Amino acid sequence: MKGLFKSKPRTPVDIVRQTRDLLIYANRTSDIRESKREEKMAELCKNIRELKSVLYGNSESEPVSEACAQLTAEFFRENTLRLLITCLPKLNLEARKDATQVVANLQRQQVHSKLIASDYLEANIDLLDVLIAGYENTDMALHYGAMLRECIRHQSVAKYVLESQHMKKFFYYIQLPNFDIAADAAATFKELLTRHKSTVADFLSKNYDWFFAEYNSKLLESSNYITRRQAVKLLGDILLDRSNSVVMTRYVSSRDNLRILMNLLRESSKSIQIEAFHVFKLFAANQNKPPDIVSILVANRSKLLRLFADFKPDKEDEQFEADKAQVVKEIAALEPRDRP
Amino acid sequence: MAQHEQEECSTRKIQYPLDSNSYKILDEIGVGVSAIVYKAICVPMDSTVVAIKAIDLDQSRTDLDNIRRETKTMSLLAHPNILNAHCSFTVDCRLWVVMPFMSCGSLQSIISSSFPDGLPESCIAVVLKETLNALSYLHSQGHLHRDIKAGNILMDSNGSVKLADFGVSASIYEPNTAHGWASLSSSSQLMLKDLAGTPYWMAPEVIHSHIGYSFKADIWSFGITALELAHGRPPLSHLPPSKSLLMKITKRFRFSDYEKTHKNDKNKKFSKAFKDMVACCLDQDPSKRPSAEKLLKHSFFKNCKGADYLVKNVLHGLPSVEERFRESKILRRNVSVDEAEDFESSSVRQRRISGWNFNEEGFELDPVFPMTPTESKDDSIVKQVRFGGETIISDKKSSDRSNNSGELYSGSPGRVAGEETQMVVHQETETRNRELTESENIEGGGGGGAIDNETVMEGLMTLRKSLDEQRQQVSNMIALLGGEVSREDQLLQIIERMRMELENEKRKNFELETEVEFLKLQISGAYNSGGTDS
Repeated sequence: MKGLFKSKPRTPVDIVRQTRDLLIYANRTSDIRESKREEKMAELCKNIRELKSVLYGNSESEPVSEACAQLTAEFFRENTLRLLITCLPKLNLEARKDATQVVANLQRQQVHSKLIASDYLEANIDLLDVLIAGYENTDMALHYGAMLRECIRHQSVAKYVLESQHMKKFFYYIQLPNFDIAADAAATFKELLTRHKSTVADFLSKNYDWFFAEYNSKLLESSNYITRRQAVKLLGDILLDRSNSVVMTRYVSSRDNLRILMNLLRESSKSIQIEAFHVFKLFAANQNKPPDIVSILVANRSKLLRLFADFKPDKEDEQFEADKAQVVKEIAALEPRDRP
Repeated sequence: MAQHEQEECSTRKIQYPLDSNSYKILDEIGVGVSAIVYKAICVPMDSTVVAIKAIDLDQSRTDLDNIRRETKTMSLLAHPNILNAHCSFTVDCRLWVVMPFMSCGSLQSIISSSFPDGLPESCIAVVLKETLNALSYLHSQGHLHRDIKAGNILMDSNGSVKLADFGVSASIYEPNTAHGWASLSSSSQLMLKDLAGTPYWMAPEVIHSHIGYSFKADIWSFGITALELAHGRPPLSHLPPSKSLLMKITKRFRFSDYEKTHKNDKNKKFSKAFKDMVACCLDQDPSKRPSAEKLLKHSFFKNCKGADYLVKNVLHGLPSVEERFRESKILRRNVSVDEAEDFESSSVRQRRISGWNFNEEGFELDPVFPMTPTESKDDSIVKQVRFGGETIISDKKSSDRSNNSGELYSGSPGRVAGEETQMVVHQETETRNRELTESENIEGGGGGGAIDNETVMEGLMTLRKSLDEQRQQVSNMIALLGGEVSREDQLLQIIERMRMELENEKRKNFELETEVEFLKLQISGAYNSGGTDS
């Protein structure tokens, strides 16, 4: 019955093709009459919205997996994603948001039980450079940032970003003064360092020196409250992940690291203190503490024990109490070791 | 990459400075647990007046991801009826969200200052239509507002109306939320399971949050907001928020009831179109409520007046936001109720709450909802319904712990629930039991402890009975199969273990009960001391 009243003869493939034609048109910057151009741009925005409603469904209908698969196959058959990404700054706000959602959704669409978006991105990996550079453009950052986070769901893509020079830039992006953008970059940074366990472990062990040097000095010792808080939380997440145990062991054997964490423990912010504790406990629990670590802990023993005496999170937390008891026990039992 | 020159005119916002030195704070216009709202000027921008919401991130109970989502939502929405953020940046451990200054404050504030019995219907229509425009846009963008109420509808001196406060909003397209992506194959299927919002305005399915809810929950709140504008306060607001939740769940609340009592009482006449519009928003069945877009076509919104009309009929002679805030501050000093979180509405919310503290007797006379005869029935409601009690109480509990001073709010737990509920949604059954017993206590249904004990015992007995039955069945099966002794032994062991668990449960129940008694004492103590203050 419904079909009778629908005046939509266009298939998903048609919509993708027309979108692509319009994108090519929009990317041509030359000599077109303004009115004509506007008309075409409006049509483009409409098409992008239609792509979205095929992928997400709308108030009347659910998405149809067959249609989604056709759309996805056609989308990646040619260079539509590249066109869309480069054209994004020319679209209006609503179309940018629609496009972002379309790109996000396409990353998860399977065609013949394969994520073809991943293959496409591997072959067009330079697109990631464009997305990451988006953080430097206030207007585009949130859109490109959202796309980027979806793309790094593919392991190969995340690996590329981790091993690229872009990784260093994140230390700067997450401290941008614009909160929205900085927070978006921080979310991406976290995703990169937590999603694909083996890739992350591999990256961290290969890049240990520069990465943690930057991490300590730029993030954990930042003058920006929110940077310190997010960084110490993420550090805990990274080090406590079993797949990163080698990195963790190395991290907790350094007295410089211990000094930084002890400073964070002394912060006036409760949230930072608590998160710092979750990293600090690893230093204390380490069964092979290097002598310099032991001597620092011994030297600060009474201060630490006093600190822990009335140290608890706002919400009751059994695990935290247990950890704290363990740490206190470890520290109390330490003997100053003059010789190894 | 750098070809973004052409479109700047259309999409680029004016960039406000991202450092606190560029702003000069003039006045405090709202205060809450972890946020203060200031009126300020932005010096380099021709001293444009702005509102700055300064959120204490260290104190704030919501996690950073939620805050990120809120500011992102605000900066990516563009609609004349939605309050955008100019920009946001951190200043030490505070997040400053710079917004346009809406000089007349929230509708809630306007009502309690100048229209205690509600706005005229013709004005309500304008406000609601503008709000509905915002809601329709929001929904088309895949966002739920989740906290629609007069306190979140702001007005400027030119009569423009904007929807504000996306503190608890959610997006169906935001893949990084706890709800996961897999289950969200489409917008129409979307179901969120967080409990968020402010109790009086919450839709039944939100309170009943295990079944999930969607855009239609906003429509319910919109309907409640309509009543709030019409009567000066939301329905059931003479009851504590937890009770209002329960009454909604058990379908005891009907729009028609409300209308009847009020018509007789206040002699207010509302048009049929208005009543019909509200009634369809307040359908218990979410699927029967109209979408925002559809609702805009309702006859109530035909021939709606414009902003000028509001300027003439609502804003004329209204005290300024700053004045109203100062006034409420004085009031607040008398009543130690301080639980509001956001924007201008905060001050007013306290006023309303304190209002009913002061006039408790008056409210008893007010026959909006006869409380006493239903008291005993409510006890049984509490027992049936866990979800309502759960959040309120556990919030209350945690806040009790954090501020064990005399700040126990006799009227405001609802607000806390609104802020914190998201954290409390996933409760294990055991804690649920605990909330259950406690909610009884808060409800003040006399002898709560004893009754509750019975309920739990009843539950345990049923459990035991079903265990016995199962055991019987199992042994039957074993007999059928030829009776393996060793397996039967195993099963007996299992049963034994389960029995021990049962015993444990009983013991826990007893412990909880004593805790209830203790809390009851505490609360009644705090309530009394609150009362003597006024």
